[in-house]
Amino acid sequence: MRWPMVRAVLAREFLEIVRNRLLLASILVPPIILTALPLAVIAFAGHQGHLPPSAVAQIVANHPNWADMSTEQVIEAFGLGQFLVSFLILPGYIPLAIASYSVVGEKQSRSLEAVLATPIRTSELLTGKALAALIPGIVASWTAYAATLSLSALVFGGRLAMVIAEPTWLAAVFALGPAIGLVSVTAGILVSSRVNDPRAAQQIGAVILLPIIGVTVLQASGNFLIGPTEYVAGALVVAVIGAIGIRIGTVVFGRETILTRWK
Amino acid sequence: MVGTPAAAGRPETASPGAATWPVAAGSPDAAAWPDSDPDRVMVRAEGLGRRFGDVWAVEDLDFELRRGEVFGLLGPNGAGKTTTVRMLTALIAPTVGTASVDGFDVRTDPEAVRARIGLLTETPSLYERLTATQNLEFFGRLHELPDDVRTERIEKLLRLFELWNRRRDLVGEFSKGMKQKLAIARALLHEPAVLFFDEPTSALDPEAAFIVRDAMESLKSGGRTIVLCTHNLDEAERLCDRVAFLRRGILRVDSPARLRASAGLPTVEIDLAEPPSEPLLANLHGLASIHDITAHGTGISVVVGDARRDTPTLVRALAAAGVDVLGVRVASATLESVYFDVMGLRPGANADSV
Repeated sequence: MRWPMVRAVLAREFLEIVRNRLLLASILVPPIILTALPLAVIAFAGHQGHLPPSAVAQIVANHPNWADMSTEQVIEAFGLGQFLVSFLILPGYIPLAIASYSVVGEKQSRSLEAVLATPIRTSELLTGKALAALIPGIVASWTAYAATLSLSALVFGGRLAMVIAEPTWLAAVFALGPAIGLVSVTAGILVSSRVNDPRAAQQIGAVILLPIIGVTVLQASGNFLIGPTEYVAGALVVAVIGAIGIRIGTVVFGRETILTRWK
Repeated sequence: MVGTPAAAGRPETASPGAATWPVAAGSPDAAAWPDSDPDRVMVRAEGLGRRFGDVWAVEDLDFELRRGEVFGLLGPNGAGKTTTVRMLTALIAPTVGTASVDGFDVRTDPEAVRARIGLLTETPSLYERLTATQNLEFFGRLHELPDDVRTERIEKLLRLFELWNRRRDLVGEFSKGMKQKLAIARALLHEPAVLFFDEPTSALDPEAAFIVRDAMESLKSGGRTIVLCTHNLDEAERLCDRVAFLRRGILRVDSPARLRASAGLPTVEIDLAEPPSEPLLANLHGLASIHDITAHGTGISVVVGDARRDTPTLVRALAAAGVDVLGVRVASATLESVYFDVMGLRPGANADSV
C-alpha cells in the first residue's frame, strides 16, 4: 500500500465532498439535529416526568450506579439513554451517503477510467475512497457526542452528563460506531456498483442500519441490557463483517469489473 | 516535454489555428526521453485477444509500433477498438497472446505500463467539481511526480492549452473543447512514452475538434507514439502513418496512401458540351495508359494509370478533336471507400446487401 496514493485520493474526495452542497448538508445537518434533539427532549421530559415510582425503581435496579440520583435525574438519565442509537446511526449513515455519492458520481462522470489508467492500485483507490467516507462519519459522530456531553453538563449538570460518559456509551461510541461505519462504507460501495442513483444506493444500504437500531431499541426498552463488554464484542463482530465486505469490495472494485461490468 | 519556454509564454489570446502545440524535437521533453532511437518498438502485440463470456471481442492481433509512429485503429462500433486500447494500457488482461509497451509486459508489469502511457478517453473523464489545476494535481500525484515538477508542468500545460486563465474555474463550467484539451493535458502530464486517444473528437463541435486535431498533429511532429481510435477517416488519413481496419481482428493494415493506391486506379470524369462520338472514344482509347473508357450522356469516365500525367493528355486530345470540355475532375479512391471495401460495407445499403 503506497500511502501517498491513498492520500491523493483522500484529498480529492474531500475536495469533492466540500463542493457537493447536498452531500455536505447530509453530513453536517444530522449531527446538529442529533445533538440538539436529546437536550431538547430531556429538558422537556425532565420537567414533565410522570413515570410511576415502580418504573423509576426498575430503572434504578437496572442501573445501580444511578441510585444517588433524584427521581427527576433518573427520568432524564433514562431519556438520555434512548439517544445512544443516534451516535450509532451517524457513523452508519454518513459514510453510506458519501460512499454512494462517490462511486455513483464516478460512474456517471465516467471519471474512473482515467484514474485506473494511472499506476494506482485498486486497493489504494478503494482505501482512499473508504477512508474519505469513513472519517467524516466518525468525526461527525464523535463531535456530536462531545457536544452532547458538554452541553448536557452545561444544561443538566455534571451528574447527568456522567451518564453518557459511562463505559457502555464509550464502548458504543468509540468501538461499535467506527465498526458500523466500516460496514456502512463497504455496503455503500457494493450497492453503488450495482445502481446508478446515489439515493437508491443509500436506501438499499440503509437496510444494514436496521438491526443496529433494533438492538438499541430493545436496550432502551429495558428488556435487553447491553453492557460495555457486549458493545466491544459487537464491534468486533461488525468489524469482521466489514472486513469481509472490504474483501468482496476489492473484487467489485477491480479494474476489469469497473470497466466491463459497471453500467 | 511540451514545447519550448517561448511557446509556454505565448499569449492566451492566440487563435486555435495559430496555436503551437506541445512537444517539439529538441525540446526539454525530447531530452527527457530515455531512448530516442526512432526504431525502438514502443508497442508490440502478438496473438493478442480478449474474450467476454463466449464472445471474442478481438483476437489474433499482431502489430508493432515504433517510436514516433501514429497508428490508427479504424472500425465500426463493437469492432474491438476500445478493448484493444484497454489491453494495451493494462486496464484489462488479454485472454490470449501478449502485449508490451516500451518493453514492459501488460500482464506482468501493468503498473510500469500504466506509468508509461497517457490515455485520452472518449469522454474527458474529469472531476467536474474540481478546478483545472486540482484535476491535474490529482493525476500528477497518482503518477508520483515530485511537487516542484508537478507544479511546473501543470503551469506549462495549462498555458500551452490556453487554459491558464481558467485554471481556478471548476471544470464543470468548461466547454466540451476545453474539457478535452484539459484531458489531453492530463494525458501528457507525466510525459508518457505512448499516447492512446480513443475517439478524441467524436463528441466535439467542429472548432473543438479542430483544436484537438491540431494538438495531435503537434504531438505527432514532436515524435510521440500515438494510438488513435477514430471513426473519422479524414482525421485518420491526416494524422496516421499507418491505419489498421479492425473488426474483431485486423483486416488490413498499411499507410493511408498505400491503402488508397491498392484500391484501384484513378478515374478522370470529363463533362463535354455534347455526347462523344464513337470515333472520338476509339481515338481516346488509343492513348497510352488509358485503361478503360465509358460514355454516359455528355460525360465520359476514363480510368487512367496516373491522373496527374494522363489528365492533361486527355484534355489536349479532346481539344484537338474540336470537342468543348465543360469540366474535369479526378476521382481517386479515398480511405473511406477503401474502408467500406475492406469492411464489406456500403453506406446506404440495406442489411441484406452487407
